[in-house]
Amino acid sequence: MSLNPMHQFEVYRLGPEINLGSINLSFTNASLFMTISASVILFFLFIGTKKKSLIPSKIQLVSEMSYSFVAKMINDTAGSSAKPFFPFIFTLFMFVLFCNMVGMLPYSFTVTSHIIVTFVLASIVFVGVTIIGFIKHGLKYLELFVPKGVPVILLPLIVIIEIISYLSRPVSLSVRLFANMMAGHTMLKVFGGFVISLGLLGGWLPLGFSVALTGLEILVAFLQAYVFAILTCIYLNDALNLHH
Amino acid sequence: MKNLNEISTRLEIAKKKIKKNQIKDNGTNAASLGKALKISTELVASVVVGSTIGFLLDNWFDTKPLLTICFFILGVVAGILNVIRSAKKMHKINKYRKR
Repeated sequence: MSLNPMHQFEVYRLGPEINLGSINLSFTNASLFMTISASVILFFLFIGTKKKSLIPSKIQLVSEMSYSFVAKMINDTAGSSAKPFFPFIFTLFMFVLFCNMVGMLPYSFTVTSHIIVTFVLASIVFVGVTIIGFIKHGLKYLELFVPKGVPVILLPLIVIIEIISYLSRPVSLSVRLFANMMAGHTMLKVFGGFVISLGLLGGWLPLGFSVALTGLEILVAFLQAYVFAILTCIYLNDALNLHH
Repeated sequence: MKNLNEISTRLEIAKKKIKKNQIKDNGTNAASLGKALKISTELVASVVVGSTIGFLLDNWFDTKPLLTICFFILGVVAGILNVIRSAKKMHKINKYRKR
């Protein structure tokens, strides 16, 4: 059972069962690891910004770097008009990053390897960006679906295609994060299983592979958080500055 | 104050070293991997969304396979359009960086 590569993704209930109407609100291991990631972020940023010295300590340096990294990313992709949304994008980036990184620890659970988690995050972005677009531009925001210089005969077709491409944004955003995390963790587990089943004689090669894959997986964990945040910035840019 | 002076001289030495060596971009490899993953999912997602819309409309209007097929094709078109668009965006960013 423990050799089953999909076993690590099982969600189970911790503590008593809580039902609110027809909704099951029990505390699961997924909720536990989300809480852990959120508290690690809070703790890390609290310690990092507590002593503001001119010559920063290592932890202060890292927390300042994460701030300036996200600030630069927003400035480069969405421009200065997206500055008010910095807290949201910073939170999103840190949450996804720390969920991925906490999931890399042995015996832990990767929250972002479940499509419902990533899809909810992506839907928040999608709905939020759409609302911001409508607040900022009113009904003019619908011009996003009507590109300039298209013959009138083709227009209905183009509008349908544009709407499909707009609706595909949350799907591609969530599927990317979920698929990368799940595939990576499954692969790690499969190679780990090879080490055990091949034993002392043949197990060294898959062991080397798992070490290499762990490095790759840490890279992917960072990269996916980065891609998630940068795409949020790009969508925000589309909503704030309405032109292609 | 002595400490600060020491750091400023160290900083100057480090800056000179950077100018000499012109440290290469070591983020390019990771960034291109990210771009590849981004493009591949974009193509798939619009096909899935298009087919789902077609399937739902089919159930609504009772025209079983017809609208699913039409919207599948539209989804493929939207996916290719998305890929071309993001490739163009990358091209623009690269041009901007080289200048």
